[in-house]
Amino acid sequence: MTALPIQMRGVARRFGSKTVLDGLDWEVGPGQVVGLLGRNGAGKSTLMECLLGLREIDGGSITLFGESPAALSDATRARIGYVPQKSELFDWMTPLQMLAYFKALYPRWNDGKVESLMDRWGFDIVMRNKPIRRLSGGEQQRLSIIRALAHDPELLVLDEPVSALDPAGRRDFLTELIDGVIERGTTVVFSTHILTDLERVALDVAFLKDGRIVLEGDLDDLLDGAAHHVAPGARTPSNLEDLFIEVTR
Amino acid sequence: MSSHTPQLFSIVPGSTAPIYRQLVDQVRRLVAGGQLAPGAALPSVREVALQLAVNPMTVSKAYGLLELEGVLERRRGVGMLVADRPVGMGGASGAGERLALLRPTLERAAREARELELDPDTVLSLFNTILKESP
Repeated sequence: MTALPIQMRGVARRFGSKTVLDGLDWEVGPGQVVGLLGRNGAGKSTLMECLLGLREIDGGSITLFGESPAALSDATRARIGYVPQKSELFDWMTPLQMLAYFKALYPRWNDGKVESLMDRWGFDIVMRNKPIRRLSGGEQQRLSIIRALAHDPELLVLDEPVSALDPAGRRDFLTELIDGVIERGTTVVFSTHILTDLERVALDVAFLKDGRIVLEGDLDDLLDGAAHHVAPGARTPSNLEDLFIEVTR
Repeated sequence: MSSHTPQLFSIVPGSTAPIYRQLVDQVRRLVAGGQLAPGAALPSVREVALQLAVNPMTVSKAYGLLELEGVLERRRGVGMLVADRPVGMGGASGAGERLALLRPTLERAAREARELELDPDTVLSLFNTILKESP
């Protein structure tokens, strides 16, 4: 049996006196496409950063494909792609320099995909040679997505990947996610506040609240269930937004 | 092989009906209304997924349910077709069933009308006007 892409057991993380993750248990199986939902400040980014070994944890255990994120083998690292919410790293480089740098770190690199995405997402010759810090927020986010997809990861972790994109950019991203990522059976975990986008691509959702995953399941079942289990006299819900408000209140 | 309009379906994320259910309802309506005739080919899962920007599994789920209901048939090497005699979709005798397909949409409209505190006669006369407008 192969190890799960993500397994978290009793994970705790505090910042000073504030407990952000409080004995959190969570598993994500191969090929799952999961939307991670929660209020601002619920700890979605912290969860993702702990998951990827970018932050230490104060308790519990995490494995990615069976390995500890703090001591990932190169082979396992190459199976994972990550789009951070905001990245100031490498912003003095040009997109071409940054991509060349990352290409050297990975055993596999899909040059065809990088070229086609750069082309479709507006990276012309001028933009490819401009320092990243002089690109717009949306351009930086698109570049970050290209970098995360370039090595055809088996697990893709996306932290608010479309927050800086306009509706057309979001649609381009969704199309790429559907055609180039989900079609390959990639496991995807992503957070977003744009629930309509989430509903289009996520089959499962997980709600983070009070440091734990308080509700998770098949999105269709949750929506069907919500519509059919309305307390008498209650406002007739329930779309994903209603569910979000109800669960995270 | 596609004889249908480029965009056969449309979906509204954020509504009370999950996307798979919106697709199921639309296919039922198109078949009941004759826009999709028996034997007509449906666009592939991938085509629909890309057109609507939705997860292909969601489209598969909708097609699978319609196949179970007997509305669609999977034909090897061809894909999904409207069944030769779609279950419960026969001619004039199916008027009641066709009307039933409209019920969820009208229930939704009725709820919104109540929320807007509109009186029934006003709403009905608007619906009458809309029915008479050419599409």
